[in-house]
This record gives sequence, C-alpha cells and structure tokens, in this order.
Amino acid sequence: MSGKFAKFSPFHVDPELIEGTFSLQPEDFDRADEDEKAAMEQKRKSVSYWRDAWRRFRSNTVSMVALGVFIACLLFAFAGPALIPYDYADQYRSSQKLGPFEYSEGEAVARSIAGSVDGFYATALQPGSLTSLAKGDYVIYHGGKTYAFTLDRAMENAILMLQTKAEDPLFIVSESKIQQDGSWSDSKAISYTDTPADGAVEIKLSRNVFPHAFGTDSFGRDLMARTMYGTRVSIIIGIMAALIVLIIGATYGAISGLSGGAVDFVMMRIVELIYSIPEVLVVLLLQVVLKDPLRAWFDSSNSALVQSLSALGAGIISIFITFALLYWVTMARIVRGQVLQLKQQEYVTAATALGAGNGRIIRRHLLPNCVGSVVITTCLQIPSAIFLESFLSFLGLGVSAPMASLGSLCSDALETITLYPYRLLLPSIVLTIVILSLNLIGDGLRDSLDPRLKK
Amino acid sequence: MAVYVIKRIVVSIMTLLLIMCITFLLMNAIPGSPFLTEKSTPEMIERANAKYGLDKPLYVQLFNYVKNYARGDLGTSLKMQEGTSVSTILFGQGKFELSIKLGVISLLLAVIVGIPLGCIAAYNRGKWIDGFLRVMTTVGVAVPTFVLAGLLLIGFAVNLHWLPTKSNSLPDFKSYVMPVISLSFYYTCYVAKLTRTSMLDAINQDYIRTARAKGVKTRMLILKHALRNSLIPVITYLGPVMAGIITGSFVVESTFSIPGLGKYFVQSVLNRDYPVIMATTVILSALVIFMNLVVDIAYKIVDPRITLTGKED
Amino acid sequence: MEKDNKNLLEIKDLKVSFFTPAGEVKAVNGISYSLGYNEVMGIVGESGSGKSVEAYSIIGLLQSPGKVVGGSITFEGENVLDFTEEQMRQFRGNKVSMIFQNPMTCLNPVYTIGNQLIEALMCHDKGYTREAARKRAIEMLELVGINNAEKRIDQYPHEFSGGMRQRAMIAMALICEPKLLIADEPTTALDVTIQAQILELMKDLQHKANTSIIFITHNLGVVAEICDRVSVMYAGHIVEQGDVNDVFYDPQHPYTRGLLSSTPRMDEVTRERLVPIDGTPIDLLNPPKGCNFGPRCKHCMKVCLREKPPLVEVGERHYSACWLHFKKEDEQEEAET
Repeated sequence: MSGKFAKFSPFHVDPELIEGTFSLQPEDFDRADEDEKAAMEQKRKSVSYWRDAWRRFRSNTVSMVALGVFIACLLFAFAGPALIPYDYADQYRSSQKLGPFEYSEGEAVARSIAGSVDGFYATALQPGSLTSLAKGDYVIYHGGKTYAFTLDRAMENAILMLQTKAEDPLFIVSESKIQQDGSWSDSKAISYTDTPADGAVEIKLSRNVFPHAFGTDSFGRDLMARTMYGTRVSIIIGIMAALIVLIIGATYGAISGLSGGAVDFVMMRIVELIYSIPEVLVVLLLQVVLKDPLRAWFDSSNSALVQSLSALGAGIISIFITFALLYWVTMARIVRGQVLQLKQQEYVTAATALGAGNGRIIRRHLLPNCVGSVVITTCLQIPSAIFLESFLSFLGLGVSAPMASLGSLCSDALETITLYPYRLLLPSIVLTIVILSLNLIGDGLRDSLDPRLKK
Repeated sequence: MAVYVIKRIVVSIMTLLLIMCITFLLMNAIPGSPFLTEKSTPEMIERANAKYGLDKPLYVQLFNYVKNYARGDLGTSLKMQEGTSVSTILFGQGKFELSIKLGVISLLLAVIVGIPLGCIAAYNRGKWIDGFLRVMTTVGVAVPTFVLAGLLLIGFAVNLHWLPTKSNSLPDFKSYVMPVISLSFYYTCYVAKLTRTSMLDAINQDYIRTARAKGVKTRMLILKHALRNSLIPVITYLGPVMAGIITGSFVVESTFSIPGLGKYFVQSVLNRDYPVIMATTVILSALVIFMNLVVDIAYKIVDPRITLTGKED
Repeated sequence: MEKDNKNLLEIKDLKVSFFTPAGEVKAVNGISYSLGYNEVMGIVGESGSGKSVEAYSIIGLLQSPGKVVGGSITFEGENVLDFTEEQMRQFRGNKVSMIFQNPMTCLNPVYTIGNQLIEALMCHDKGYTREAARKRAIEMLELVGINNAEKRIDQYPHEFSGGMRQRAMIAMALICEPKLLIADEPTTALDVTIQAQILELMKDLQHKANTSIIFITHNLGVVAEICDRVSVMYAGHIVEQGDVNDVFYDPQHPYTRGLLSSTPRMDEVTRERLVPIDGTPIDLLNPPKGCNFGPRCKHCMKVCLREKPPLVEVGERHYSACWLHFKKEDEQEEAET
C-alpha cells in the first residue's frame, strides 16, 4: 500500500469566509520547524512507580488516617512506657483492683498532700507496713543525702539506704498517733506536720501521683503500662512473623516459579498439603511440644543469640516457629504466581534474547515487578499474625507471665469480667484498633501498588 | 464427576493420615512421660507405659494407633477420669453434637447473612448503605472472636442481664445467641466483604458489558450474571471458614463455659492428655478436610470451567 | 418519522469526556456523521483515538467517569441521549446491538451458550415462549455456521473455540434482528485465518439481515474488505471520512496517509498498541491548541500549531480536516510517502 500519493487536493473556498473565521496569512502556510513542533507537545512528567504509588496512597483519606492511627499505636506501645512511671511487671499491692483513674487510699493521700505541702515525715524501725501508702515518686531526706525512690517497689532499697534492717519496715509518722513509747499502731491514717517527730525522716513528694488511666489488675499492676507493653509485644510478633513469612515464602515461591518443571510440581504439592492441614490445630500442638525443649535449650546455651531469644520467651519463639513452618504457603503461592506470569512477559524474553544472565533478569525484571504484591501480602500478614498470637495467648499458650500481650490481657480479664469489664474492654479496643489500622493500611497499599488498578 | 469425587476422597484420606502421623510424632517428641508426677517412681511409670502400650517401638505404636482409629477405637484417656475411653469423653453428654450445632449454625449464618449483605453493598455501591456496610465489615474483620465474645458478655449479660453469662447446657434459644454471634460475626463480615469485592469485580467483566449490550435488566445483571461468578471466590473461602469456626469455638466455648469439643481440646492440650489430643485433632481435622471436599465439589457445580482433572488456572 | 429520514443514525457534534482525578479528558471532541440503512461504516484509528468511546455512547454503555457532554445521537428520528433508563434498555440489543473485541471474556463462563442466547431474546418481550426461543437460538447458531447446533447450544463458552465464540456472539447480537450492529474490533483477538472467516460471515449476514454496521478497527485491511464508508479518527476528532475507495486510493489527510504507508504486518495484528507513525498520540489531558496531529505531522505548518483545521469537503462525500487543503496548489511540495 505504500508508494506515492497524489498531491493534497486544494480546497477552494470563499477566501472571505476563511478570513472572517481564522484570519490566515500566507506565511502561516510555511513549514513549522522542529522546535515549534516540540513546543506544542506538552508532555507530562513521567512519574516513577513508587512516587505514583505514594501519591495515590496519600490521596486515600482512609488509609492516611489509618496510617496516622497506627503511628499513634506505635507511639503508645514504644514511647508510652517511657512516659509513665509504672512498669508492666511491677506489683503495687496497695493499688490492687483499681478502676480507670481511681487512686488507692495511699495515692489519694499523697495526692491531697502534694498540692499543699512539700512533704511529710516518716520514721523507721517500727512494726507495721508502709504498703498502705502506695505508688508515686518520693524523695527521702536522710543524713544529709537525698534518696529518690518509688515507694512500693523500692521499699527494700529505701530501707537499705537508711541502713535499717530489712524486717523493720519504714513507717510514715502520723503525729497524733504516736504513743508515749514511740510506737504507733494505726499506720493508715496519715497526716502531716510541719515539725518532724523524733527520729522521723522527711518524705518529700516530688510530683503528683500518675493516674492509673486503665486501672490496675488483681496483682496491683498498672494496666496501662501492661497494655502498652502488650501492644508492643503484639506488634513485634506481628512484624517478625510477617518477615519470617516473607523470607521463607518469597524464597520458596521464587525457587519454585523459576525452576519450573518437576521441581515446581513437587514444591507445589507440598504447599497444597500444608494448605489443607487445619493450621491452628497444629499450631496448638506445636506450642505444647516446643515449649519444654525450647526452655531446656535456653538454659543449656550461653551464646548471646540464644540469650536474646530466651528473653522473648518460649511462647513467642514457638509462635515464630509455627509461622515459619505453616504460614508461608500463601506468600509462596503469590510469589510463584507472579514469577510464572512475569517469566512469560515479552520483556523478560527480550532480556534473555539480549543475553542477560539469570541473576540480572531476577534483579532487574522480576524483583521490581513482584515487589508490589509482596509488600501488600506482608503488610496484611502482620494483622493476621497478631490475630493468631492473641488467640493463642487468650487460650493461655502464647506469652507467659509476667510478660503480657493484648491477647493474654484479654484472657486475664475474662475471669473477672462481671466485676471489672473495663479490663477486657480497654485491651480489646487497642487490639481492634491496631488490627483495623493495619488492615486499612494494607488495603490502601493494595489500591496504590496494584498495577491492575492503575488505569 | 464421580472420578473427581473419588480422587478428592482419596486425597482427603491421605491428608488425614498425614495429620495423624504428624500428631503422633509430635506427641512423642515431647520429652518426659505423661505419667511423670512428683510421687511417681520409675517402676510406676514403667507399669503405666506397659499398660498403655507406650513401651513398644514407635512404628508399632503408630501402626496400632492408626489400626485402632480405623476400627473406631479412640483409646483411653490418661488424665481425665482415668481409664475412661476417649470416645466417652468426647462424645458423651452430647458434647460433639453441641459443638457441631454451634459450628453449623454459625457457618450457615455467615453464608446466609454475609452473601446478601455483600450483594446489597455492591448493588448500592457508593450510597450510604454501602458505606455503612463497608464500615461494619471492615471493623468486623478486625475484631477477634474473643473480643466480640467479651464485649457481648459485658453488654448483654453483665450490664443488661438480657442473656445468661454461661451457656452450660445450651437448653434454649437465648443461650445460643451470644456464642453464635461471636463465632459467626467475623466470618459474616468477611463473606460480605468478599462478596462485595468479587461482585464489583464481576460487574466490570466483559460478559457483564455484553449482557448490558443485549438489554438485560440491571436486577438480572446482578442476580444472574454477576452473583454466580462472584460466588466462586466466596465458596473457595468456605473451607478456611470451617477451620476458623472450629478454632473460634475453642475461644467461644471457654468464654461462655460451653462444654463442647473445643473446650476439651484446649484442656487436653494443657493437661497433655495425649489420646484425647490426638482424637480431637483427628476429629476436627476430619471435619475441616470434609468441608474442603464439600467446597471443592460445590466449586465444580458453580463453575463449569473446572475440569475433572483439577482446577483450570 | 422514519420516512423523513433517509439515514438510520445521525450523530451531530458529539462530545464525550472522561472526568478523571487528573482533569477532564475529551475522548470524543465534536464528531458528526450519518449512517444510512444497510450501510457499513468503518471507524479507524489508533488506540485511544476515541473510536470505541463514540460507539459506546450510541448504545448507552459509557461507564463512569465517562459522560456525553454535548451533541446529539439521532436513531430513526429519536434522540438516543434523551432516552430513560428503561427505554435505553429496550433499545439495546433490540434496535442496536454490539459485539466486542475479546470473545474469550465476553460470554458469561457459568451459563450455557443457549441460556445466554435465549436471554437476549427474552428480555425484549417479543412474545416468544421458552421453546420457541430455543428454536430460534438454534436457528441463529446454524445461521452463523455452528455445526451440530442442537447439541452445541447446551455447551458452556469454554467448550467453544475463540472463533466459535465470536460466531455465538454474532448470533446473540443478531437474534433480535437489530437495525444497527456495532462491532468493536471483533476480529482483533482472533487468529488470522479465523478473522477472515468471521469477516466473511459478517458480510454475508449483513446482506441477509439488512443491518447497518459500524465497524470499529485499527486494521485497514479489514476496513477495505467489509466497509462502504470509512471515518478515520485521531485524538477524538474525525480527520477524514469518505467512501472506502476514495479514502484508500486518494487519502487526503496526512494521518491517513501515514496509516496507509505503515501497513501493519500480519503477525502483529493481534498486538493492541501498534504505533505505525513517528511519535505517540497526544496527551488528551492537555490537548495542543492547534491541530492534534500537528506535532507528529511531516507537513506541519505554522497555522497547524495555532488553529484546529475544519473538516472540509475535498471530493464527493469525501471530507478531510487539514490546513494543507487551504494551501495554494502551486505552493504544494511534492507529497512524500
């Protein structure tokens, strides 16, 4: 069909008509040069894949809010414990079973004193207990030195510092209750005086008592501290488990997809078999089976790695092992599918034809194209790992006390649900918010990374 | 079809056998003897081992165990009410029926409520009802079963006193309400979400455009053309749903003090009552595997593209 | 009404825009043409030139965010754009029907061919009973050359080959005896040998059924074979229109010439993104001020970059939109290939 065409037919039209509409000059019919043509072509800036994905993610209000909420959860879990004076394992016996923002008797006294005076006086070496005065940050002046201590927990330390015997607890003096012989019986009614009693030590309040925002449990542990700690444990487990799944699943899937043939066939039959096993049953069994050998292993070995693992606890390690054994199959399937699909793409064939090696093809062509779906799957794996962990902890198989996770907190709370419903409510809400925000972030990532939706 | 079903049954039995072996080996991998207590002497342990056949070589034990299961003999409990057979423990006093009833009602609820909700959302895409359902299902799949069970307990049993906190015998309708809702809510939401997504996916397919081009009514487009296609991923999900409901039943049964299979499984795991663990694992796995079989066959009925040899990719 | 109109379909200044987050994309920007009874019109253009969008707006299948923003589509004297949803539904499939590019995905995989054929008939209350409809469906399948139609009618789409599926699609489109058939690249996804068979079938059926056809394609060979008239579209505009022979043997627009001189090789026919002319189609989000083809045109003049050329009659029923037609004859350079 190629060949010379005839000249362009001239179109004879009333020149005035043309003049009226367009006002053409003879020079308008000169050839336009390349620069003029190029100037006409307004090309859009080409946008890189990640920048484009980020732009789409940013424009997704729901995902952005979820991201914000998740960052708030991270702050709550990781920065929060540094901001409150309580620790997840500390038991404050005088502060047991408090509701949210409730104060124990001692704390209430301390609070009421704190506003009006600098401190009050205490003396040592008398029978009774100081545990009626609870938790807060106090300063003790003794022998010209200042000792800061936290009352409940640091009790023994304080006594040591004051060089009193351990069996002789410290006492807070209430002036009116002092008997002639220097002893007093009622330690609860604490008041204060400007003039120190004989041998009394000044206990100075350095600041207000921090509220138990979530209340305390039956052991007198601050539930907000425990919830923060539990959130941290749950998030770490979620991320670690997702990484394990990512590494094992992606490697397995990539090997299977790239090898093809008999290797692929056998590897995929194994995946199918694992897929059809009811995972949670096996997880439960593994939890039981692994716990003791893991403990024995932790005790026997002294290497730094084992020690750091043992710090996590046998429960968590066995959760990781079960993830490593059973939960990578979905990821493996997705990666294999992607690899198989990509292997057939023309550009991979073209790269092979141009003599690119396998390594280069994997690096340059397969990996960048798999990344989207791998990121999405990994992100959605985190909440599902948190789900599983909380489920196991709820059944009493996950983290072991005094360690807490959101699931174990809920489980503990269940026993006293009729009396203290908030103990279940608060960690449940945090757990739900963490999972919800992660799910929404995952959805947002899918929408912004999935090239199929790009149009 | 028959060939396909037979093939699937064979595969199912093999999977079950594999699970039996895994369970058996795992149980034997635990160091220490189940009879090891503070007061037991080596002779006592030996005698107990001999009594339960634990002194024989591993493969003989495994063989005996599979053989006994094939005959329907699930063995004898080591811990609970010593000497009673596992079958009595698991099937006595209607425990099995209780768990099955709870599971089946929850599964049906998830399907019967979830699929229409998904359709309604997809049909009214972008309207307030879609928005409402999206929020509900999104939150629903973020709430673990035990959280919902706890919240329901706080709300309806502790504060309002409408429903009983414990469902010991499940004698009446009221006792079912909370366990069933907490067990099925997650899956109802998931099924609804899945139906909506796959429905919207189906609506964008070329064959829907074809149907529109030939003048099919909108209602028929959804109910005839989109629904059946969008059911395919939903059906695929039902196998995992069954497994999930069994898992969830552990939590629900312990939360509401329901004496079902799940509760006994958890108890036996904590007690290390090997025969009970193994029996429960095998029974529950068999349920899940059976469900997967049903799903595969249902899949084939809904999607004519599935060939006799396997799934078309 | 019908008597007053010698044309079946008249499109006047049709404008269709897609409202994307990035801005308004004017996919079809003011096109006009008419189609007579029994006429086969080919619409040729590159991907994204607006040819499918224009066809979809005739049959009311534009999906959000696409919207008709101006102009009229008159079918037998009635403005299609004024139809209610129910009128539109009755109109689709009954008066106008459509076949699509990919027969592999255009049939619902979970229903039998017969079911889908009968449905097409039954949703336009034509008074068919179920049995009569089935008989008619078998007739139609036989008509489009499917052997053993009695048995084939109860098979599923996946049991049909690609060519067979497209035949079934054609049977389905013609079962209500529509006045107009819109064929959107019906042969693009098929093997070359099957393409020829399907074209032969369509030509044959067009004569038998007295149907007008709008044939959308980027394959010029197909147009030459089947069409009476042809419109060449570029970036939402018709740049040249005329009888097939005029356009093919005496192309007047540089774009048409470019298309013709870059005849696609047969082994590349199935590829969608075939760009035979230097450069790429313009960005419809930011269309140039002047002629849309200007930046890619070998003959580009200064005026082309400033003003859009009007569509003018350059021969009998032969229209072209190019400033070259305004240039004095003696100033013309020798046309290049």
